[in-house]
Amino acid sequence: MTFIWDGVKQAFELLFEGNGDVYGVLGVTLHIAIGATFLALLVGLPLGLACGLGRFRGRRVALGLLNAGLGLPPVVVGLIVALFLFRGAPLGGLELIYTVNGVILAQALLAFPIVGAFTATAVAAVPRPLFDQARALGASRPQLAALALREARVGVIGATIAAFGSALSEVGAVVLVGGNIHGRTQTLATAVLAEVSAGEYGTAIAFGVLLLGLVAICGGALTVFQYAGEGRERGGGFPLPGWRAS
Amino acid sequence: MSAPPDAEPVLRARGLSVRRGRTEVLRDVDLDLRRGEVTAVLGPNGAGKSTLLAALAGLLAPAAGELECRGRLASAGQAAALARRSVRANVELALAWWGVPRAARRGRAERALTALGAGSLAGRRATALSGGEARRVHLARVLAVEPDVMLLDEPFAGLDPSVRSELLYAVADVLRDPRRATCIVLHDRAEAWALADRVLVLLDGRVAATGPPAEVLERPPSREVARFLGFEGELAGPDGTLMLRPGQVALDPAGPLAARVGRRILVEEGVRLELELDAGTLACLAALPGPEVGTAVRVRATGGVHFPAHRGAPPE
Repeated sequence: MTFIWDGVKQAFELLFEGNGDVYGVLGVTLHIAIGATFLALLVGLPLGLACGLGRFRGRRVALGLLNAGLGLPPVVVGLIVALFLFRGAPLGGLELIYTVNGVILAQALLAFPIVGAFTATAVAAVPRPLFDQARALGASRPQLAALALREARVGVIGATIAAFGSALSEVGAVVLVGGNIHGRTQTLATAVLAEVSAGEYGTAIAFGVLLLGLVAICGGALTVFQYAGEGRERGGGFPLPGWRAS
Repeated sequence: MSAPPDAEPVLRARGLSVRRGRTEVLRDVDLDLRRGEVTAVLGPNGAGKSTLLAALAGLLAPAAGELECRGRLASAGQAAALARRSVRANVELALAWWGVPRAARRGRAERALTALGAGSLAGRRATALSGGEARRVHLARVLAVEPDVMLLDEPFAGLDPSVRSELLYAVADVLRDPRRATCIVLHDRAEAWALADRVLVLLDGRVAATGPPAEVLERPPSREVARFLGFEGELAGPDGTLMLRPGQVALDPAGPLAARVGRRILVEEGVRLELELDAGTLACLAALPGPEVGTAVRVRATGGVHFPAHRGAPPE
């Protein structure tokens, strides 16, 4: 216990003594998490809306693929992305390997199925007659999508929280695509790994505490937003998955 | 306010057929809807009423036939599905879908809510409404958009009798509008008589009768329609069948017909008797306590509709 307590104290010292390295790692972590979540929302929301609202051929296959994407092994995704991004590889010309943008791409690939699958579930839980009524009164596709997102907002924001949490905590893809380069692509989660590898358990615990604090603050803030104005109403949501770490 | 009979229909269907899977649920339906006229579609469960409305609304593609609409059409489905926001915002949202400019939405929403007796609900959350209140808001959405054709699918379904009659009175006042044609699917005949200028009876996916309510009730064109309209008693004679509603049959010691009470059921108005006669069966209402099962009684029948033995239609 003393060991852990020392790590917690060290975390506060690192934070409040204005340690530039720590703030740098914090900044990279947030940059990657926000960028990856944004990209995941950009791809996952339309997919989730299409699967939740649409009645097209292949909808079940698409849903199945999205759900399967929830279990993607981050290390394998990181490996595949890295293989495509290495110099001389098909996407090597983009020069994304060992860069923050490359890590964002890999993290977005892991996070978009979370957004897509949970958005589809939340939208499918909205009473169908509401959409039928909207169509009967002339609602356009964008208006239907806006209605679906608003009605299923608890679930959609839940999906965003899950995607953001995944992007904050993930390790395997970050190391393989970003190289865990201190000051450039190292995140709080990969910093923990690096410190443990170096035998610096105290510093690793400190980074771990910071990561947990960040997850709690961001998750809490999004949860407040999620239920803002909901009052006692609930619904359209789903049991949130745990924060995924690898 | 009924439309003049020669008024140009705003919606015209000819030979309309609709399939659901391999089943043809609507066959060869002709229908004209005119401005200022309320048309009620009646029929038993599974007759194709909601399918007809969905086809008229363009939500189901017809398998055959023609559909022509000279104006904008709005429909209200059976379920009063409202968005999770305020009542006023729900009506304004419908107006936004319809393409009404933002500045005009508030006033139109409040006018529609007031017309349906739901003005006081404007600020309430839609999710906190009772079934009857939600139904008023549901109808107000369609009323607010001021369509040329309004289609309503069983607007009173699932409501308890007191709420149902309250809503019926509210709707009766606002349905008739010279600018609008209205088609309303109803399950209850009494509601059709109260609301409609014309009724259309659907049986097994076909139009079995159409015309003004009193005319269809007084002269149903076939036995099937007569049975659906409550002509429960049937007396066979050498020249055909006489069909009678319970209200057209009365116990009378001096009556010309001898009968035996086969069954009695207590109802709100007294007791409903099912009477067995040599020529058939009749139903009537009697004051409590009424005769017991097996009692011999005399009855008098007044009115009814006669169907000749050789064809289904009543004589001129």
